[in-house]
Amino acid sequence: MDERRVIESFLSGGTEEAFCALFEVAWPRVRRYFLLRGLDAMTAEDLAQNVLFIAYQRAGEVREKDLFYGWLFAVARNELMRYWRRHQSRVGAPLFEPVSAELADSLTVEPDVMRDSHLQEWLTYLEPAERDLVVLRFVEELSYEELALALAIPLGTVKWRIFNAKKKLSQIIRASFPESITKRIN
Amino acid sequence: MKHGISDQDWEGYVEDRLPAAERDRIEAHLIGCLGCWEFYEQMAATTERLREAGAATRRGIPLSDEQLHAGLRGVFERVRAGQPGHATQRGGRIEQRLRYLEAVMAPMCGAQTAANALRAAARGSAARSLDEVTTDNWEPFLRSLTSIAAVMCGETGAHLVWRSGQF
Repeated sequence: MDERRVIESFLSGGTEEAFCALFEVAWPRVRRYFLLRGLDAMTAEDLAQNVLFIAYQRAGEVREKDLFYGWLFAVARNELMRYWRRHQSRVGAPLFEPVSAELADSLTVEPDVMRDSHLQEWLTYLEPAERDLVVLRFVEELSYEELALALAIPLGTVKWRIFNAKKKLSQIIRASFPESITKRIN
Repeated sequence: MKHGISDQDWEGYVEDRLPAAERDRIEAHLIGCLGCWEFYEQMAATTERLREAGAATRRGIPLSDEQLHAGLRGVFERVRAGQPGHATQRGGRIEQRLRYLEAVMAPMCGAQTAANALRAAARGSAARSLDEVTTDNWEPFLRSLTSIAAVMCGETGAHLVWRSGQF
């Protein structure tokens, strides 16, 4: 069953079976969103479970089936903000203790294990709200309309903010891929 | 707005989401304006790179069936309890937390090294071995692991390990 039909089936019936099918397509996306917004895997999974639990309970609130992911990521953003508010003052700075010379000598770093994706690095140049936009647009492929719902901003503002984020990133991306841009212009 | 083209217009043009009349207006301008043409090329390339990076990120975050099933069980536990769970209340999920710390470190220093670091941290803390790490001796273990991570992954990596280890 394709994703659209899975969503329709859940929203029209709300059965456990329909929810399981929805969970399979939606939970990985919400989990990924939390990971890309800087949460560790375990917290990302916990919060994604909360989001899907809310979807299970409050699916009736979704007015337009085509904008389901806009609604779902609005719930996810709220969950993320609640989490950050709760944890802002709880986690102190780590204290680094000296590591013995013997232990330090035995620690080696394996090369070439970093992921071949630039997105994580690019996101660091953006404001938090812009990171949301870029992740939801280019990783989760939300439409402008879904983004407007997820971020609770007008459609025109979505387009304006996306383009501004692109402008910010264009120099950084050009530095990462100098030859490809030159090739395009020539 | 520059040369009568707003950021919203540019976004619509680059994404091919403009009505035909608007598109024609911008194209008529681009033919005679090298600066705008170069700007368009740059923004189109940026958009393309972001799409590619988005696709690579989708492929780069794997999810096992086991994780998916555990996630579904977690939701139904919440349904039974009638309330969302709290990420801060994990009780004795030490095994899971250790696995995640290993997963956090692996991309920075390699899977084998991450596993060794966890063992070394346990040996160097009150727990003395990984099997003996509990909620009671978690903090000294995490401090030890963070210190090791600072040597292997740098301070940023160590901060990540420290934060990831918080219950």
